[in-house]
Amino acid sequence: MLTQREILSTLEMLKNENLDVRTVTLGINLLDCASHNLEKLTNKIRTRITHYADNLVSVCNHVGQKYGIPVVNKRIAVSPIAAVAAAMSSSQMVAVAQVLDGAAAAVDVDFIGGFSSLVEKGIARGDMALLEAIPHALAETQRVCASVNVASTKAGINMDAVLLMGKAIKQAAHLTAKNDGIACAKLCVFANIPQDMPFMAGAYLGLGEADAVINVGVSGPGVVKNAVERALKSNEQLDLGQISELIKKTAYKVTRVGELIGREVADHLNIRFGVVDLSLAPTPNVGDSVGEIFQSLGLLSIGVPGTTAAMALINDAVKKGGAFASSRVGGLSGAFIPVSEDLNISEAVRKGYIGLEKLEAITAVCSVGLDMIALPGDTTAETIAAIMADEMAIGVINNKTTATRLIPVPGKKAGDSAYFGGLLGQSTIIPVNNGNNPNLFVRRGGLIPAPLQSLTN
Amino acid sequence: MNKAILSILGQDRPGIVAAVSKVLFEQDCNIENVSQTTLQFVFAGIFIVSMPGNLSSESLRQNLTAELAPLALEVYITLFESTTVPVSPPRSEAYIVTTKGPDRKGLVAGISEVIARFEGNITNLQAVFKGGNDPGDNIMIYEVDVPPQTDQQALYQELKKRAHELALDIDIQHRNIFEAIHRI
Repeated sequence: MLTQREILSTLEMLKNENLDVRTVTLGINLLDCASHNLEKLTNKIRTRITHYADNLVSVCNHVGQKYGIPVVNKRIAVSPIAAVAAAMSSSQMVAVAQVLDGAAAAVDVDFIGGFSSLVEKGIARGDMALLEAIPHALAETQRVCASVNVASTKAGINMDAVLLMGKAIKQAAHLTAKNDGIACAKLCVFANIPQDMPFMAGAYLGLGEADAVINVGVSGPGVVKNAVERALKSNEQLDLGQISELIKKTAYKVTRVGELIGREVADHLNIRFGVVDLSLAPTPNVGDSVGEIFQSLGLLSIGVPGTTAAMALINDAVKKGGAFASSRVGGLSGAFIPVSEDLNISEAVRKGYIGLEKLEAITAVCSVGLDMIALPGDTTAETIAAIMADEMAIGVINNKTTATRLIPVPGKKAGDSAYFGGLLGQSTIIPVNNGNNPNLFVRRGGLIPAPLQSLTN
Repeated sequence: MNKAILSILGQDRPGIVAAVSKVLFEQDCNIENVSQTTLQFVFAGIFIVSMPGNLSSESLRQNLTAELAPLALEVYITLFESTTVPVSPPRSEAYIVTTKGPDRKGLVAGISEVIARFEGNITNLQAVFKGGNDPGDNIMIYEVDVPPQTDQQALYQELKKRAHELALDIDIQHRNIFEAIHRI
C-alpha cells in the first residue's frame, strides 16, 4: 500500500515543481544508408527514419498519460551525417539536411540531431563537406541540429577545426540575421562528445551504438530548488553536506522516473533502451531554473563568489543520485547553464552578476559549457574560435565533456537584448574582452596535443 | 477447523489489539490476518482467525464481548463459508486516482460510481475531508485495479468529466510511478 505522503509528494513534483521527461530521443543508425548517389541516399534516410519513428510521438504521449508525467519533447538523433554522407559535396550535404528536416516534420518531432562530425584529430573529406555545409543547412531548415566534436582528452584539440567552426558560426548568424542569428542556437561544438546524449542541440547517435536506441533526458531544476527550500524551511541550520545529501536523494527520484518512462517507451516501440540522462535543464519559465537553485542555497545570484563551489556541489550530488538510481545513466547527467534558456541566469547577465569569464569557470565543474550565450555581432570568427578553444581545453584537461553554443547576434552590441523565442528564450548580449581584434594564437592552427591524462593504457 | 472474520470497532485507545489477541489466544484461536486502521478517533480492526472445532462463533463472541466491554468496543463475528474462499484475482493494472477539491456531499459516491461502471476494483481508499474550500484539506486517494479489457481512454475521460462536475482536481496515474520514485 502506498502512503498518502508518497502519493502527494509525487503529485507536487509533477504539478508544481515542473518535473517532466524533457525528451525521449530515438537514436537511429543511418550508416548503412550510405551511397554515392544523393537520391538513393536520401530515399534510404527518409525510409529509415519513418520506419523507426512513425509511432514515437503517439507512444510517448500514451506512456506520458499512463503515468501522469508529460514527455515534453520527442526527438531523433542519427548517426553522424559526415560519415553517412561522406561521399557528398557540401551542397549535397545541405540537401541531406533538408531531407532530415522533412523526415522530422513527417513524424512530428521538433528537433533531429546528428548533422554531425567528429574531427578531434583530423578532418576527412566528408567532414570538410559537412563543416562547410553547416551554415546553410541550419539556416535553411527548422528542425536540424548540428554538432561537431573538435577535441578529446585522447586526441587533443584540433585548432584547424576550431577556427573553421568560428567561421561557420559567423556565417550561420549572418544567414539568419533577421532572427538574431538563431541558426547558431542549433549548433554545438564539443570536446569529448557523449555518444548517447538525448538533449539537443548536441544529440547524435554514436558509432558504437545499435540500429536504434531510446535515450531519455529528464530534467527537474524546480524539483531540486523546492526540495532545498522545503528542507531549509523546516531546518535553517542544514549544512552543505546535508543539502548535498538532499539533492542526491531528489536526483535519485527524478532519474527513476526517467528510466521507468524510457523503458516503457522502448518496450512499446520494440527498440532497446539506452540511457537516462538526468540533467538539470532549465526552460525560460519561473520555477524551472538552475539559477534559482543558487539563490535557494544562499547566494545573491548565480555569478557571485561562491557560485563555482555551489555548482560543484549540485553537479556532484546530481550525478551520485543518478548513479544509484539506475545502472543505465549516460549522456551528460549534471547541471546545464544555458544562459538564454534560463530566466534567472539571463537576468543575472542583465544585472551584471555574471559574465563570460565566470560562466567559463563554472563549466569546469558542471556538465556542459558556454551554452546559449549571445555575443556582440561584431565579435570576430577568430575570437569566437578562441572562446571555443578555451572551453575545449577545460574539457580535454579535466577528462569531461564541454561544449559551446555561441550566438554572435548580427547588428547588436553588448547590453542589447537578443530574442530567440520558445524554449530558446532571450538574453542580454554579453560583452567579450578584446572581441573584435585579430587573434594570432588561433590563426596558427594545428593540433594542441593530447594531455598527459590521455596516456592511460 | 473453522475460520471466522472478526470486526472490532470503537474509540481508539491503547490496549485494544492486546485485549483482543489475549481472548483469541485463551480460546485457542490462531490469527491468520489482521488489518487495523484509525479514522480520526475510531479504531477499526479486522481479524481472520482459525478456531478449534469445539469452539462456536457465539461462544467466541460472548468471550470477546465480556473482555472488551470495559473498552467500549463493538464485536462482530462472521463464519467464513467455504463458498467465500477467494478465487485468484484476474490480471489487472493498478492505478492511483487522486482528487483534491472543496468538500461537499457525494464526492466518494460520484467518483466510485465511475470506477465501478468501468469494472475497476478499489483495493484501497484513503479519504480525508477536513471541510472548507482548501483543496489540500480535502483529498481522496483511490488505488484501483483496472482489468485489461477496460477502455482506459474512456475511463480517463469519464473520471475527468465527473471530477469537473464535482469541482475536483483529478489525477490518474499508474501505480508504478510512485513505486519507482519512493521504493528502492
